[in-house]
Amino acid sequence: MHNLGVVINFEVIRTLKKKSFWITALIFPVVICIVFAIIYFSNLATNQAATETKNQHFTLAITDESGLIKPTLLAEFKASTINNKQKGIDAVTNGKLDAYFYYPSDISNQSVEVFAKDVGLFDNSRYQSVAQVLLEQSVAPNVSPQVTSILQGKVNFDATTYKDGVPYDGFAQLIAPGLFLVLFYILIAMFGNQMLTSTTEEKENRVIEMILTTIKARTLIIGKILSMIALAFIQVITILIPVVLIYLVAKDQLGLPIIDLSNIPIDPIKMIIGALIFIFSFLLFTGLLVAIGSMVPTAKEAGGFFGVVMVFIFAPLYAVTLFISAPDSPLVTFLSLFPLTAPIPLMLRNAVGNLPPIEATLGIIIIAVSAVVVLMIATRLFRYGALEYSKRLSLRTVLGRKR
Amino acid sequence: MTKKSTPLVTINDFSMAFGNTLVIDNLSFDIKRGETFGLLGSNGSGKTTIIRALLGIYQPTSGDLLINGKPYQVDSGIKLGYLPEERGLYKKESVISIMTYFGRLKGMSKDDAISWSNNYLKRVDLLDKANTRLDKLSGGQQQKVQLGVTIMNNPELLILDEPTKGFDPVNRRLLMTIIEEHQATGATVIFVTHQMEEVERLCDRIILLKDGQGSAYGTIPDIKKKFNGASLDDIFVKIYGEQDEMNDSERSNA
Repeated sequence: MHNLGVVINFEVIRTLKKKSFWITALIFPVVICIVFAIIYFSNLATNQAATETKNQHFTLAITDESGLIKPTLLAEFKASTINNKQKGIDAVTNGKLDAYFYYPSDISNQSVEVFAKDVGLFDNSRYQSVAQVLLEQSVAPNVSPQVTSILQGKVNFDATTYKDGVPYDGFAQLIAPGLFLVLFYILIAMFGNQMLTSTTEEKENRVIEMILTTIKARTLIIGKILSMIALAFIQVITILIPVVLIYLVAKDQLGLPIIDLSNIPIDPIKMIIGALIFIFSFLLFTGLLVAIGSMVPTAKEAGGFFGVVMVFIFAPLYAVTLFISAPDSPLVTFLSLFPLTAPIPLMLRNAVGNLPPIEATLGIIIIAVSAVVVLMIATRLFRYGALEYSKRLSLRTVLGRKR
Repeated sequence: MTKKSTPLVTINDFSMAFGNTLVIDNLSFDIKRGETFGLLGSNGSGKTTIIRALLGIYQPTSGDLLINGKPYQVDSGIKLGYLPEERGLYKKESVISIMTYFGRLKGMSKDDAISWSNNYLKRVDLLDKANTRLDKLSGGQQQKVQLGVTIMNNPELLILDEPTKGFDPVNRRLLMTIIEEHQATGATVIFVTHQMEEVERLCDRIILLKDGQGSAYGTIPDIKKKFNGASLDDIFVKIYGEQDEMNDSERSNA
């Protein structure tokens, strides 16, 4: 236990001293900040430009065959009328007019046509905006505000669905157990490569014999895995703090939705199942990474095998709609119970709520047993593969040893 | 029976094969508590294999390799200092953090490990490099650090596999001094080497390995007597020269 603490302490502190860790940790919130800043300032600039454009005056004429445009509005916009469409187009092409709008007799089936002098990609939109405003303001007095809202799709809906007689929000229900899926993705994506490097490091530095005669291989590996988890939490916190701060400080300016955490439902059964799937899945893939790192001489060579592991983990994402729409299909069952592909389907289906208890139990048992077996093999590989400084170790060689 | 006469290391009927190649063939010997023992042999004679099997890094094909009467495990209670033939430390870490790490793994408190490391670094003129990354040191300076890590926590059993390999004369002298200091404290030292001068100077008893078996085993005077008073160098050449001549002959006949 003492040595486990020493290994975790050593691994965590030396990683925290690395610039690459902080670059990786900070690049995400920095990019988020930059993206939000770009969105914010872009929206601001667009609004300003739109206002300026709207206020710009240009010479305008229309032909209204629909009879919808009110003459009083034409006076407001200082627009004239032309009886012939071709004349209007000619007036624009020869520079006598800045814009000409043609309202056809049946605008429900025909397009309103806008002909105008080019004033740049962004500013050209002003013509269409004015054509639309003319139309909207002309017909607005004829209908009630409610009808206007309905037609404009601005009506809000507040739905309540019930399951077993109590209100049930399917989307809200998947948030809490879905966090395990997000956490799993972050851990594997961010720390998979680091785990490989960490495993091959002793071998690459020729320090393995001194280590293995000082500490048990199992203790060293567990220490490395636990330190990776600790580092992942540090990294997640590093990412979350600026994101939360941005949200709290600038949610109104950025138009972000109000999040009330107290409204997120927590289903204890789902949370326990999600936690078990997450823990055993993480151990399974960590074990695989340790095994790969132990079998090859360098971290560089391990990278190719790491890619194969990533394919197994994330390939089920391509069938994500199937997990939700057809959870009983043989493919979904296979992907949910095959150890290497099981984590994402199981966590996703648990979050969505279509993972039956029997399948959940079976899936957890399969992943747990696989994790234990893989970790045992990984420890053995680490112990015996560690001395193969320059060549790749065969699994048969290691498993064929007596102890 | 004196403490020095009881065996600390016992090797019984030890055989080791890699695939179809038998490297060690039914070898038996023991190393007494407090003695300095030389494990000698030509390249590929199985010296490192014996050490690795003794320390549980390799699993023997058959036989027993015991320290204090039981197979070695890191938690078996004996204080071990091991300088392997393949050397290296965490290159991107500072000298003091590497030494503190190993000190703590060997059971020292953090303060003791730091204090011991600083005293050692001062002794070998590396105190100003304590916070320098290992890969920024010269090869000779790295050897000193490795040696320090090996002898941290005053080992009862010091195993040095070809310790002078790659060492410059300054570090070789430092190593000899350190071995003598540990001899004086009653530590048992196992010394794997080709250097007969060092063997004569330090070892109480030796074993010469040939074809995976012990071709000579005992105190240096006894072995010399067996070879009509020849020097260790001559004995070495006589044993392994014959092997080389035989190998040459086999090669030319093939």
